[in-house]
Order: sequence, then structure tokens, then C-alpha cells
Amino acid sequence: MAEIIIRKPSFGWLARFAGIYLPESWVLLLAFLAGGLATIWSFFNGYIIAYGDAESHLNIAKRVIDSLTPGFAQLGGIWLPLPHIFLIPFVYFDWLWRTGLAGSIVSGIAFIISAVYIYKLANLLTKNNLASFLAALVFISNPNILYLQSTPMTELSLIVFFILSSYYFILFLKDEELLPLIMAAFFGFCATLSRYDGWALVLMEAGILFLYYFPIAFGIGGSDSKEEESEDISSEKGKNLFKETWSLFEGRLILFSTLAFVGIALWLFWGFLILGDPLYFTHSQFSANSQQQSWLSRGELPAYHNLIVAFKYYFVTAMSSSGIIIFITSILGMLVFLFDRKKENRFFVLLLLLVPLFFNVATLFLGQSVIFIPSLTPTTFEWTLFNVRYGVMMAPFAAIFFGYFVARRSAFGKTLLVALIISQAMLYFIGFSPVLAFQDGTHGLSSFIAKIPDAQYFIANNYDHGMVLVDDYARTISIIRTSIPMKEIIYVGNKPYWEESLTEPQKYARWIVMHRNDAVWRNIYDRPEVNARLFKYFNKVYTSEDILIFRRISEN
Amino acid sequence: MKKDKLIIIAIFFLGLVIYLLTLRGVAGNPVARDFKENLDKPTMPFELSPERGRFVHVVNLAERGQFDLSREWAEVAYPDVGIAGGKFYSFFAPGTSYFAVPFYLIGKKFGLSQVAVFFMEVAAALISAIFIYKIARKIFNLPNKASLFSVFVFAFASNAWPYSITLYQHIFTTLFMVAAFYAAWKFANERGGRAWLYASWVWAAYALSIMVDYPNAILMLPIMIYFVYSTFSIKRVEEGISLSIRWAAIFTFIVFVLITGLQFWHNAHYYGSWRELAGGIQTYRHPEEIATNASASTGTTKNIVAFFSEKKIPHGLFILLFSDERGLFFFYPIFILSLFGIWFFYKKSREVVVFPEYVLALALILTNVALYSSWGDPWGGWAFGPRYLIPSMAWLSIFAGIFISQGAHTGIKKILAFLLFLYSSAVALLGALTTNAVPTKGEALLLPIKKYNFLKNIDFIGNNHSGSFIYNTYLSGRMTLLAYYLIIYFAVALIVLLVLIASRNKTHG
Repeated sequence: MAEIIIRKPSFGWLARFAGIYLPESWVLLLAFLAGGLATIWSFFNGYIIAYGDAESHLNIAKRVIDSLTPGFAQLGGIWLPLPHIFLIPFVYFDWLWRTGLAGSIVSGIAFIISAVYIYKLANLLTKNNLASFLAALVFISNPNILYLQSTPMTELSLIVFFILSSYYFILFLKDEELLPLIMAAFFGFCATLSRYDGWALVLMEAGILFLYYFPIAFGIGGSDSKEEESEDISSEKGKNLFKETWSLFEGRLILFSTLAFVGIALWLFWGFLILGDPLYFTHSQFSANSQQQSWLSRGELPAYHNLIVAFKYYFVTAMSSSGIIIFITSILGMLVFLFDRKKENRFFVLLLLLVPLFFNVATLFLGQSVIFIPSLTPTTFEWTLFNVRYGVMMAPFAAIFFGYFVARRSAFGKTLLVALIISQAMLYFIGFSPVLAFQDGTHGLSSFIAKIPDAQYFIANNYDHGMVLVDDYARTISIIRTSIPMKEIIYVGNKPYWEESLTEPQKYARWIVMHRNDAVWRNIYDRPEVNARLFKYFNKVYTSEDILIFRRISEN
Repeated sequence: MKKDKLIIIAIFFLGLVIYLLTLRGVAGNPVARDFKENLDKPTMPFELSPERGRFVHVVNLAERGQFDLSREWAEVAYPDVGIAGGKFYSFFAPGTSYFAVPFYLIGKKFGLSQVAVFFMEVAAALISAIFIYKIARKIFNLPNKASLFSVFVFAFASNAWPYSITLYQHIFTTLFMVAAFYAAWKFANERGGRAWLYASWVWAAYALSIMVDYPNAILMLPIMIYFVYSTFSIKRVEEGISLSIRWAAIFTFIVFVLITGLQFWHNAHYYGSWRELAGGIQTYRHPEEIATNASASTGTTKNIVAFFSEKKIPHGLFILLFSDERGLFFFYPIFILSLFGIWFFYKKSREVVVFPEYVLALALILTNVALYSSWGDPWGGWAFGPRYLIPSMAWLSIFAGIFISQGAHTGIKKILAFLLFLYSSAVALLGALTTNAVPTKGEALLLPIKKYNFLKNIDFIGNNHSGSFIYNTYLSGRMTLLAYYLIIYFAVALIVLLVLIASRNKTHG
């Protein structure tokens, strides 16, 4: 056996190098570089707006400031508005809108902040810089996250508010100071206006507040310290304690809810104001629920009313989205955390970080959402890859508990866990682990680029000027991939142009694009009286099995 | 110590007798024309392509001194035959075939070349069983009876039995795994000259295991990581950081280099490139088959790595662990107890300072299960039980031993263990005495028989249709196969019952 002493000066440079910045700053720098490189890669390969939804998010924001009928009403009533509001300053510039880089900027900023706060949250739980850095590294090196942060998709907007709200909420549980509670409520508010998952987050936080104060009032726990337990509430002292705790709970719940739930209230009010129905997003023809009904009628909604299948689908999706090795290790970390009696509020922390699991299992079970993943979905289904990006919501959970596991290991264990991060990266690199979010965007059902119709090339090459009547919901063509200015588009959100065009197509439009059975087809092509006008004023310039394009004959 | 030696001798002779009673084979030195519609029929020694594909190389090595196959022997291994440099090879890693050559040559002198080659697997299984005993006893600190029970679970109540009496790679994988585990542990705890021996042993086992089956490079990784862990130790000292290196592990790497060098030489010499693996060479198809079957073509190659994929894991896990066609817990429910054993031993492993070894055993199981769950064919083709999990069964058997020996209520635990042993052993013996050629559910449902698990083997017992060399050669006219089955079964059950009864002690039920 040989013993080598590596003297301090030999590796002092390493410490000096690491000490140039604070650990958070290193995380920020690393996230910036990784995110930037991923975006450059997506940009040059044409993957930024690969998802069909990616363009829709960009278009919603663009219409607020630059459309036939600009205004905030263009935000609509299905998708929550905050990610689109963030996009507005960037989509003002046509180049950023058409390339999708507007979305990359928003998602990229969210990604960087998420990485930094994953570091901070892990540090809050572990008090260990290395473990916290590795937690952030796990998040930063996740290729699903890296891809999504280069796109206008809204997952990163939710993730950043989820992490921020969770961080401040856990900070509040630790010190019971009011400012973190207010911050948690504020970021919860932002989350509720980013994706519906955010609603589950604030509900859970309110529930945790209840659980946090109530057991103490009844003397049945809340702390692991035995001395604090079992205060008899029938005694005078117990009654006072109950009163005190109740009023504390009441005050903090009101403080938290006033801000956290106002987003939900605003959204319901918005639905009522703009669309005349506060629950428009749950049951309109454009809602997720309506879309799931068509899967259900085909017998292709496997998790519907089946809790085990719902859990299985989301668990496998989450595992694949975080990386199988990372996810399994994080479950070990979670178990270590759960059985660590010294950790105060460990159940509450766990409940909070598991919100995406509860939410997604519930929505799958209720038929409000659907996931198709090749490893589980029967090959007899029309599609086997869809919505798998929902799994990335569990990436913060995986990163934080991976970090926690690192913190509890010896030097050798830490080295091994670093090796596991590298191994996971290798599995992605050699193709053993699929980058699901990327695959869905490029050739799953969520993809637009996998099924670009020939009509897209026709309109891109032949559009000259004038207004275009199109049912945007059917995604017949991609507007940003043409030279059509947004203010020349007539779609369902342009009152009264849309309604008038469906009865008098010649009134505004120079071009009409219709897809079999879309709103334009049904209202113009299928109705004989309007159809006659169509052929009187328009030439059919493009015909395919499902898509027809008409151009105005003359300016009469 | 003396008792342990006696027990090891008992394991060897008991295992030898029982395994020989079920050893698959026929008398004679088979030649190529003996195979078609004869030795390749169900219950015959070459009922499936893995046995044929390995044996043909043994014959060619022994008879011609060449690994490549003559055309007539290539016909025997067909359709699992590839072509490289104009010569024929089967798709199986060459290690097992090389090891078998001495057995073939000895057996041939007695007119028992095939039986002798298959006996090599029995020998490997017995050595594995002895290592399992030593690991249970010395590393996991189990009482000798519980350690013996672990051995019996592995030998007679797991898939190891049906695959210890035929020509497959699994038993060798298990042997190299348990041997390397034991050697790595000895290395970790040994100083001086012997440490060099153990380190060499670890490297040799790793290299040889890869020769036997390429995925072993990954399967054995946890042991190699443990080995590295024992080699380097880092601690903070006042002057800086102290790094201790045990040079024995570093210098004995030469053993790995030499053996792997031989493997590379083999690849380069026969397949045309040191990087070319047996499974990756071009497939060969008969010209007449290409003429009649549009999908058949010569010259296609397989990307072996692409056959593993994460998306296959959920389905693979179900097939390997729970399905009624290959599921571990369906075929061998004794291993349910192992899960409890793992749970019970979590704390205990820290008390007896074997936590790293405990984690290592778990890592080996997890790696095995994860690797073959992601494999495109978790069934292992036509096979009996979850054959890819045989290496894990060695570790699960030890945890079954832990289950009966740890904590309270050991009496009830032993009754439960015995009942589950009876079921598992009955299943294992069905496979060992009859056939491993059990179709997958998907294929079976297209066949008249419609059976895709050990129920198919029961029919063979009823029809006196055995693969056992001893039964077919000496006893088939004198007793039914059912009687033969019951004699072996009750003998094994009785031995295990005695072990469980004898393992009662004053402190535990």
C-alpha cells in the first residue's frame, strides 16, 4: 500500500477557482451556458417551435399587441395567461416571434432561476454546498428540461414558480416568519396563472398550513419533540393553546390565501367577463376535457377512472423525464429524508414536492389529461407518444432528493453519485434513455414538424398580400412559418371579422384556408348558400385530401 | 471451521448426486447428422439454439482446432448462424465453448462427449453453491444452517437448477459473480501477499465473465466499483489530503488485460475486428430460404446496444418479475421472503459492519433486473422461467436465508419458508427433469398446446418424457417419470426440512 499526501498548495488553485464566485453564481453561470447552448442547438436544428403548442403560445402573445383586433382579450380563456404575458415584450419583434426565440428567452430565464433556487432549496434541506450544487447540476443536465427551456412551452414558467413558491414556503415552515409566507403566496399566485398544476400547489400549501397548525392545537404532533406533544386540550392550558394556534392559523391562512388564491379568482372572473362562463376552460370545445372525450370514445384513455394505471403512467413518465438512474436514486433520497427523524416538517416538504405527482395522477384519473408513452401505451393505439413532457414537472423533486441523498453519503458515496449523474448522461447520449419531451415535440402527437402538410409550403411560397381566413385551432398551417403578418389573419378571436367572414367570406379575406371539418370548412364549404359565394369570389388554388386553399378572384 | 468444511463437502456431494440425477443428455459422441429432428427435439439436450450454438463450437474446437464452423456444423446451429470472412459462427459469446473443450475431450474417450460438456455446468453450479455458502456464512454472518438453506434455495428452488444441467451461460455468469464478490471482499479485508491473489482473482473473474456473456461487463460493474472502493482511500490530514492506494489492485490489472487481450485476439482473428462481437456479425441465410421468403436476407447485422432500451423496462419488469409466463415470483415465490430479508438486514448490516457488501448485493440484483428488463426479449426466447435473473437468484437466496435467521418468530418464518420452498422446488424440478423449451405466451396461444409456463412441463412428466440422462438410460423402463420426480422431490424436501429443523437454536424459535 502506498500513501500519497497531496499537500494543500497542490489543490489550492481548485479552491481558489471555486471561490471566484458564490456557489449560487456558479449554478447561474452553468445554467446560463447550458441553457444557451441548448437553445443555439435547437435554433439551428429548427426545433424551437417543433411542438404545435409552441407556435400557439407565441401567436397568443403576438395577437395581444399586433393583430386585427389587438388587446388582452386575445389571451383567451383556455390557457392560463402569465406565460403569454411574459412573451409579449419579445414577440413585439417579428424575428423573435417567427423564430420562437421570444419563447426561448422566457423559458431560458425561468430555467436559470429554477436552477439557482433548486440549489437554494436543496441547501435549505441539506446545509451542504456540494450536495446542493449536484442537485442543481442534475436539473441543469436534464436533456428534457434543456430542450423545453429552449422552446416557448409553458412548463418552465410553471417550474420556476413552483420552485420559488416551495422554497419560500419551506423557509416559512422553518422560521415562521411572515415575509417568506407572503413570497410563497406571491409565487403561488404566479403559478396559478401559469398552468393549472399551480392550482394544486396553492391548495396543497393551504392544506399544509392547516396540518401544520392544527395538530399542535390538538396536541397530536407537528413536531418530533416529545415534550411538545400531547397537550391535553380539555385542560385550561390546552384550550388557550388551541385558541392561540387557531388564531395563528386563521391569520396566516388568510394572509396566504388572499394573495395565493387571487390568481384563481381572477381567472374565473376573466372567463366570466370575456367568455360569459367562469368555467369556460373546463368544458368549452377547446378545453382539454373535450379533447379527452374523443380519446375516451375511441377507448384510448387508459388511465380514465383507473387509479393504478394513472399512477403507473405518470410514474413511468416522470421517471423517464428525470432519467431512470437519477429518479431511482432520488427515491432513495426521499426515503432517507422521510426516515430522518431529525428533519422537522419532513412530511410537509415531501407533500409539497410531490404536488406534480398528485396533480397529474388526479387529472389522468379524471380524464382531464392524457399521456401516451411508448413503454406503456398499447401499440394498437393510434399514437403512442403524447404529452410526455408533463413528466418534467417532477424534475425538481428528482434533483432535490438526489441532492439530499448526496448529502447523507460518505466521500466515496458522493463520488459514486457523481458517477451516476455521468452514467445517466451517457444513457441519454447512447440512446438507451429516450429524451421524451424532445421526441414528442419532433415526432409525437404533440409535434407540428412531424406532420407539416404540403399546403404549408404552398401558402408559404404563394402568399402575396391580403387577409387570410383560417381556423387557427385546427392548426392547418403554421402562421409563423409563412410571411403572413399577424394582423392579416382572421381567426375565431377576431370579432366581428370572423363571424362576418363565415357568412360573407369575400368581405375581408383574400385567402381562405380550410381543413376538412374545421370551423371554416363546416361554415363555408359545407353550407350551400355560403359555398356558392365562395366559388363566386374565390378560386380554389390548392387541393389536397384534407386541405383546400382559396384565393380571391379579383377586388370586386 | 471444521463444521463449515463438512457442510461444504456435504453441499458438494449432495448437489452432485441430485444434479446428476437430472443432468440432461444422451449417450454417445454426437455428430452433425444426429441433430436435426433428433437431438434438437424437446427434452433432448439440444432442444434450443443456445445449447446448439455453443456446442457446435466446442466440437469444432476439439475436432478441427478451429473456432469457426464447418458447413455441416453450421447447419446444426442454423438459423442462429452468422458469417464473417467467409466463415460461419454462431451468435453466442465464445467463453462457454472454450471452457467446455477439455470436458468434451475427456467425455469423448468414454463415449459421453455431450454429457461431459453438460457436466461442466453442474461443476460450475456446485462451485457457485459453495461460494454462496461462504458468502452467507463469512460476509453476511449467517448461522451455518441458514447459510445452507440459502444454498438449497439457490440450487433446488430457483431457475439455477434447470439451467445447471444444460449448456447455457447463466451458471458461469453466476459463478464469476459470486467468486468475484468473495474475492473482492477478501481483498478488502486482507493485507500482504494474499491480497495480490484476490485482486488477480477479481480481475480474472471480470474478464472471463465478459467472455461468457458480453452484458456481464455491466452486470459485474457493482463488484468492480466495490473493488475500486477497497483500493483507494482518501482522508483529510493536516497537510492536505492523504490518498492511499493498494497497488495490488493496480498491478493485477494485467490479468484483466491479458484475458481481454485474448478475447480481442479471438474477435480480430475470427470476426475480422477486435471490436466485433459474436452477436454483431452478419446473419447467414440459405439461398433457398431467401428465394422463398422475402423477409429473409443474408448480410444484415444487429446493433446489440440498440436492443437495450429504457422504454422496454416497464414491460420487461413485469415479464421478469410478475408474469405467469416467466415471472420470478410466480415461478419461485420463495424469493418473496428475500424481499423481507433485504428489509430486515438493512439495520443489521450496519451493526455487523457489512453495509457496503449489503449494498453491493442489492446493486447486483438491481443491475441484473434493470439490464434484462430493458432487453428486447426479457422472456429469453423459448425458455423456462426468468433465466436472465439466475445471477440475482444467488443473492436473493442469501436474503432468504437472512429472512429465516433474523429477528423474532423464526419458527413461523421457517414454516412459511418451507412451504414456499416446496412450491418453488417443485417448479424448478419440473424444468430440470423435462424441458426448457417453453414458448412465450404470445407464441403459445398460436399453438395447439396453449401452455406457456411450467404447466407445459407437467404434461411431459405425465408422458414419461424426460431429458434426464440417468432416467432415460437406466430407469425409464423400471419406473414412471412421475415416480422418479417424486423421489428426487421428496429427497430434496426432506433434506431442507431437516436443515430448517436443525437450525433451531436457543435464542430464536
